[in-house]
Amino acid sequence: MLEQTKRIFLESLERVLNGVARQLPGVLAMLFILLIAVGVALVLRGAIRRVCERLELDRRLREWGVVAPAAEGRLSPSVLIARLATWTVLAVGFLAGLSAFEAATMSVFAVRLLEYVPSMLVGVVILAAGITGSRAVERSVLIGAVNMGLHSARLLGLGARWLVVILAFGIALDQLGVGGRVVPVSLGILFGGIVLALALAVGLGAKDVVARSLERRFPTVPKSLEESQEEDEGKLHHL
Amino acid sequence: MGGVGGAAIAPDATGEIVVALDGRRELVEDGAAARLEDELGRRFPGRRATVLVARRHTGEVALAPPGGSVAPAAATPEQPAAVTTAGAIPGHESALGALLREGVQRRAAAVALVAAAPHDASADWLGLLLAPVLEEGFEYVCPTYLRRRTDALLNTGIIYPLTRALYGHRLRQPLGGEAAISLSLATRLLDDPDWRRDPGHAGSDAWLVAKVLAGRHRLCQAWLGAWPRSSGSEEGARETLTRALGLVFREMERHASRWQRVEGSKLVSTFGAGGELGGEAPRVRVEDLLDTFRLGARDLAPVWALVLPPATLLALRRAAVAPADAFRLDDHQWARVVYDFAVAHFVKTMERRQLLASLTPLYLGWIASFVSETANLDEPAAEARVEALCAAFEREKRYLISRWRWPDGFNP
Repeated sequence: MLEQTKRIFLESLERVLNGVARQLPGVLAMLFILLIAVGVALVLRGAIRRVCERLELDRRLREWGVVAPAAEGRLSPSVLIARLATWTVLAVGFLAGLSAFEAATMSVFAVRLLEYVPSMLVGVVILAAGITGSRAVERSVLIGAVNMGLHSARLLGLGARWLVVILAFGIALDQLGVGGRVVPVSLGILFGGIVLALALAVGLGAKDVVARSLERRFPTVPKSLEESQEEDEGKLHHL
Repeated sequence: MGGVGGAAIAPDATGEIVVALDGRRELVEDGAAARLEDELGRRFPGRRATVLVARRHTGEVALAPPGGSVAPAAATPEQPAAVTTAGAIPGHESALGALLREGVQRRAAAVALVAAAPHDASADWLGLLLAPVLEEGFEYVCPTYLRRRTDALLNTGIIYPLTRALYGHRLRQPLGGEAAISLSLATRLLDDPDWRRDPGHAGSDAWLVAKVLAGRHRLCQAWLGAWPRSSGSEEGARETLTRALGLVFREMERHASRWQRVEGSKLVSTFGAGGELGGEAPRVRVEDLLDTFRLGARDLAPVWALVLPPATLLALRRAAVAPADAFRLDDHQWARVVYDFAVAHFVKTMERRQLLASLTPLYLGWIASFVSETANLDEPAAEARVEALCAAFEREKRYLISRWRWPDGFNP
């Protein structure tokens, strides 16, 4: 009885040890890959911070209207980019480590995720660029609309910003292969609709204004000096 | 830039006069150059006068005899053939570089940049422009024109008071677009490293004036009669402000070490009869200007908050809700607004064109205030009003210097 128990115990212990021994290289490989990933992430974070400092990225982004100065103290864009890069490298390292295991399902999952990483990175970059550009566009449209005396300047600025964001989001989704043909078709309908609405608005409501503006800018008949001076009479000369 | 050495070249008593006629091609009349040469011959007998026309070819400027065409001269490493710079004429490159080069090559006693537009026939404008250089020994003559009170409001409201407070010289219209320059100054200007270091700005009228004012040259101003209207443009407030003020702020940055040591201002020698242009002034629609100002105060507040301190924002908000007939922008407040925008331009608080464009509603508000205040004033009283504005700019200069040195300092 004792002998049998001992044998069963030893056999199960052997099986456990064999299992551990079988998994150990995978675990060690995973730890090694993770260690390398941590190292690479740290080096990359330092490098990105230095490059951002050298390029004065925070100042430039503030200048372009991408970040407000008040938000600068909390989390500057250069820190954000460095953190994003760090965590991306760590995630890729983790997935690579998982694939070091023999577990077939886990390995397939990790490989698929790894294959998806470049598309995800491109998508994130597109989205970031879109959000960055959208704020600059918003400010530009807002200032331009105020100077034109348009009372819905804020709305126009906001609309321009969200159009850019939606466009970037659509391109990013397309890049990730999410949504199939729905995304390009939706974007086409949205932008087509906006252009059609604008064309109708200008054509029906402001064609005379547009014609006068075009005539002023590109006169079909050159004006004589007297005509120019006569036209000048009612204008405000700033300089 | 120049192949000529740095030492000043003494003008001779019979030295040549070189005049560059600059302007849009359609404004350069047939025979205008010949008429100018005749006029110069009569006014300065014994001197040879050459009038050339500024021609623009693929973005470069070269001087050519009237009627002729010219290809830009071949460049040498020391002396670029033609320089592309922001000019006095909107959308046109400056002809100053080409004129200086031509004048120094010919060893002309004086060179003059003249707008291709009909000038005031009742004034001896060409004589007034060149005589201070040729007969009085001045190095630079800044033109000043008779204009209506409601003309050149950017000059009245910002450029004149700002330039005066910065450099300490009371040049009434610093960015006239025309100029007369002596050979010695032309030589020094041509040797300036800015032609290589900053070709986008070197040669502009703001660059020239700032160089002269910061360089302690012998300068004067001359009233040349009525403003040659056609040298103006169809630029709106935003475009003019963005272009002209951008150039002035850039020069401010360049000469920061100089203007921070200047206190007060002094009169400059003046030739010709000054004053305001008579006749009925165009009606300014104050309500429209106020509308844009109020719109700006409502919608651009987050943008202005990046540039202006809270106290100024509060004052602007109060002004925006005031009724039209009581609307006023205080001179000191206005001076601080201009200075805050200059500092924001310097430290690049935001993209510079956007920054200057966002100043437009404030500037239109100032116009509304100024026009309302001076509508019923006679000429001396209106001039006294401008003088008070300039005095405010001079008094607030300490604020500018402090903000320029410590832009991130506490500013309630």
